[in-house]
Amino acid sequence: MSPVPAAELAAHPFLRGMPDGQVAQLAEVATAAYVPVGHRFFEEGGHARRFWLIRDGHVALDLSVPGQPSLIVETLGAGDMMGVSWLSPPHEWQYGAKALEDTRTFELDGAAVIARCDADPALGYQFFVRLMTVATRRLHSSRIRMLDLYAAPGQTGGR
Amino acid sequence: MTSGYAVPAGYAVPAGYAVPAGYAVPAGYAVPAGYVVESSRAETRDTVTLVLRPGRQPIAAHRPGQFTMLYAFGIGEVPISISGIAAGPELVQTIRAVGAVTRALCAAEPGQHVGVRGPFGTDWGVGVTAGSAGVEPPGTALSDPAGKDLLIVAGGIGLAPLRPALLTALAARERYGRITVLVGSRSPAEIAFTAELDSWREAGADVRVTVDRAEAGWRGNVGVVTQLIGKVDIDPAATVAFICGPEVMMRLTARALSALGIAETDIRVSLERNMRCGIAECGHCQLGTVLLCRDGPVLDYARARPLLAIREL
Repeated sequence: MSPVPAAELAAHPFLRGMPDGQVAQLAEVATAAYVPVGHRFFEEGGHARRFWLIRDGHVALDLSVPGQPSLIVETLGAGDMMGVSWLSPPHEWQYGAKALEDTRTFELDGAAVIARCDADPALGYQFFVRLMTVATRRLHSSRIRMLDLYAAPGQTGGR
Repeated sequence: MTSGYAVPAGYAVPAGYAVPAGYAVPAGYAVPAGYVVESSRAETRDTVTLVLRPGRQPIAAHRPGQFTMLYAFGIGEVPISISGIAAGPELVQTIRAVGAVTRALCAAEPGQHVGVRGPFGTDWGVGVTAGSAGVEPPGTALSDPAGKDLLIVAGGIGLAPLRPALLTALAARERYGRITVLVGSRSPAEIAFTAELDSWREAGADVRVTVDRAEAGWRGNVGVVTQLIGKVDIDPAATVAFICGPEVMMRLTARALSALGIAETDIRVSLERNMRCGIAECGHCQLGTVLLCRDGPVLDYARARPLLAIREL
């Protein structure tokens, strides 16, 4: 892991458009990390303290099932933000996360980010608007998947 | 019988057609042309691709995105997308078994006879130039996006009518910019044309697949197909998108692409309704002011969006 230049952090889609001074505050609590394929970022039920901004690579969010291979709930990749369980009690990971490819990330300390958001409400607003956008998009995607659209006849009037 | 049937107003009879005695309409439009199943390939658990060989007379040459009415003798007739390119007299059609007729067609074995009417409807515009073969409905032709990037987004069996557009573009690779194919499927086992994905990549397409539900061993993407849009490099001003899949999926995808800045006239969708006659006479496929068997199935999103937003028509 290594410190993160604010300019590099600012280029991540999650932070795009955030004022430089605010990005600089987040850069103080961020580290750049590279993990190889197979690396497990966290386990379901583990203590959630951090989140990641994925720069490139491929990560699976999964649920373990006794006696069976893990169930992949969703995959994330370049430009995605990973991890929200650190934000609210019980601060436990709801899923596990495993690298499906060699992956580069920015890793941020959740408590330190919250402290900076408390101290600078403008940063807090910018940060949580982005977080809400991610959460909304994931909720939307989950709802669409629940519709099981592809189970319905999809071809031209096929009967 | 269709004796004395007239060619619908605005349609032209393709050159080279021999009109059967007693008929004013070429074989294959009002009367099914006889075809024989040459081969059958299972794509997924419930989807089959048939290669059909014409009997005495083939139907007219088809363009990517058009459909035919396939007739299982003694059972019925259904509209089916053409999933192959017009490289010869054979016709390639991909069918999902969802009812009595499609189950019979999916079960058809080599040597079995089927009836074919068509080709019908509008096309994706790929490779279409002045004088292209087929019957051209008036005022509905979409232009060839030569020089543009192609973004092809398929949901489930919606990949079938997009396949000829992709194959046509790959066969004239220099004619187009980047070619990106995004495929969404229910599960890995239900991805159609899996055996071809690598060959499309080798031919110059960026092909990405995502599934709603992963299975053991799946190493690819899991999530809705619209999530892939954010993962590819898209130049909105230089991109023409083709979308086919369940209607909700097409609407969400078109909306996402429009939000990126792609003009609605550069987003093309393939709609389906209850196609029956294929020549805009019976009205079963009416969607608002559009008769989809003639004015569709391929429409640009500027035209389709208002139709898709109406709760009931």
